[in-house]
Amino acid sequence: MKKIIEVKNLTKAYKKLKAVDDLSLEVYEGEILGLLGPNGSGKSTTINCILSLISFNKGNIKIFGKTIKPDSYDIKKDIGVIFQEVAVFEELTVYENIDYFCGLYIKDKEKRKTYVDDAINLVGLQEFMTFYPKQLSGGLLRRLNIACGIAHKPKLIFLDEPTVAVDPQSRNNILDGIKKLRDNGATIVYTTHYMEEVEILCDRIIILDKGKILANGTSDELKELANIEEKVTVEVENLKESTIEKIKEFKTVDEVEFSNNVLIVTYKKGKNNLVELIDFLKDEKVVYNKIFSERPTLNDVFLELTGKELRD
Amino acid sequence: MTVFKAFLKVLNKNKSPIILYTVILICFGAFNFQTNDKSISFVADKPDVYIMNNDEEEGITKNLVNYLKDNSNIVELDEERLDDALFYRDVNYIVYIPKNYRNDFLNGKNPTIEVKSTTDAQASFEEMLLERYLKVANTLQGIYQDEEELIREINEVLETETSIELDSKVDVSSLAKATFFYNFLSYSMLAGVIYVICLIISSFNSRNVRKRIIISSMNYKKHNRILLLSNLLFAFTLWLIYVIMSIILCGKVIFTSGGIIYLVNSLLFTIMSVTLALLISTIVNNKDAINGIVNVVALGSSFLCGAFVPVEYLPSFIIKIAHILPSYWFINTNETVKYLEVFNFNSLKPVIINMGMLVFFSILFIILNSIISKRKQIID
Repeated sequence: MKKIIEVKNLTKAYKKLKAVDDLSLEVYEGEILGLLGPNGSGKSTTINCILSLISFNKGNIKIFGKTIKPDSYDIKKDIGVIFQEVAVFEELTVYENIDYFCGLYIKDKEKRKTYVDDAINLVGLQEFMTFYPKQLSGGLLRRLNIACGIAHKPKLIFLDEPTVAVDPQSRNNILDGIKKLRDNGATIVYTTHYMEEVEILCDRIIILDKGKILANGTSDELKELANIEEKVTVEVENLKESTIEKIKEFKTVDEVEFSNNVLIVTYKKGKNNLVELIDFLKDEKVVYNKIFSERPTLNDVFLELTGKELRD
Repeated sequence: MTVFKAFLKVLNKNKSPIILYTVILICFGAFNFQTNDKSISFVADKPDVYIMNNDEEEGITKNLVNYLKDNSNIVELDEERLDDALFYRDVNYIVYIPKNYRNDFLNGKNPTIEVKSTTDAQASFEEMLLERYLKVANTLQGIYQDEEELIREINEVLETETSIELDSKVDVSSLAKATFFYNFLSYSMLAGVIYVICLIISSFNSRNVRKRIIISSMNYKKHNRILLLSNLLFAFTLWLIYVIMSIILCGKVIFTSGGIIYLVNSLLFTIMSVTLALLISTIVNNKDAINGIVNVVALGSSFLCGAFVPVEYLPSFIIKIAHILPSYWFINTNETVKYLEVFNFNSLKPVIINMGMLVFFSILFIILNSIISKRKQIID
């Protein structure tokens, strides 16, 4: 597959602190790459280096096979960026904003008009073209932000948490729009804190922390990295402390938690864990209402790799 | 064109302050034109005089009284309150004609006429009149022995008038109007330019919009050059509107040598205003703070430099402080031009220095802007 982004041994340090530490990654044509990491993990610094917004100490970055510099306008014309913060003019209408940012790339008036119309249709802002940003809700504002970043039909798109503080309807609309962009041939680098979005959207995921790559693969590949196999949750009415201790003694059990009449049993490995647990609870004459089993989520993997301690 | 069109749209959204400052300029200009006429017209006035005549009102004494009556306002006062009347300026001059003045004068004894005065301009004028009469009368008294003939000759000499014509090429009235207009323009121009340019630049320079522009395929330096030219074009258009307004309000005087200096001076001031606005916009990115800054910078410097209150009424320490503000040098030129009759290097020297100061301030603001924006880029 054709490499769209190729980063080799990138290092960016702020005095003694290494924000990005000897990082190498590739992004392939037509894929959606999810970039995950806790706050301060180096995601934004990496993207800013790739976009040549900041200088770096060491390494090499190639986009579309060419080394990018601040004045690489021939490369920049095929890149679109959607920032986490809404970046639009308050004094311009929805249409004028998209037209202005598209105009920074596309000079031909007729072509630009078509592109702007396409962007408006993609994010579903047809009814709000004459509205000013102040008149838009949070979700609509996010959609405008996206339209401004992709109106010039870039081949490579960076999306930095585009769904933060957005209602579920708008989020679905935005995610559908991103899928459409990928279907139209764009390569996408997507950063977010919402794991379910990454699972739905991304073809490949990179987990970053402290400026280094901790994991790189598909969603299923990353789940394989987890030390847990299965998690069983049971709503019980009468559970004795002795019963919990007996469950902990099961060979395949990793962890047992019990609070508010909810029992959570985490298994390291093994098959038929659920059946075994139900049989045991029957033998112990424990009354249970609901019971369900789940495989480890991306969230579990993320927390296991990056730690559970709080970040700023 | 994309950048220029966006500039125009942002400008259009911020047109209200421009209209407001222009309306203020027109209103104050028109109001001043109505009141300013009084200061350049002359009204004939006579001093208030009380004559305490202790002699009989006949012959040469009567002639003196009549002369004073003809040239002064004779007021009636209570003799016991004459000093109070002087103190309260009810009268400017009191003339005491002594007893036997007529006989003593005709006999060549040169009697003394005592006076009391308020020592102001009106009193000085009355004293001048009285001295004139007495000098003429004393000179002729030795020549003419007959009282009637003496009186006739005195009156004939005193009635001699000299016609004086004030010949000046300067249309003082129109220049005074133009000076006021251009002095006040310093406020409207400074406020309008700073307000609008700061608002526009803060829109284009907001952190995220700027990032989006930097990563676009348009050269960022070129983008900023277009923005700078757009700002200059806006300021030049505003200047042109104000010039047209001055032509409508002040008339032909704008096309005289003095008027041309007003135009050049205001153009330099406009350029200086743009450089100052760009400097402020580099320092301040908060739109909410701009209104306060406009008030401090434009209103403050206009008050300190004499745009609202004429410089001659300002305390000397205020004028000393005003020297560090560009508006002072702009207004100083306008005030100099008001009284300028001859246009040569020597007479225009202060004007050239003032204009040089405006150029100096423009260059200073450009240098400061360049230094600060580089530091901000490093911080960002």
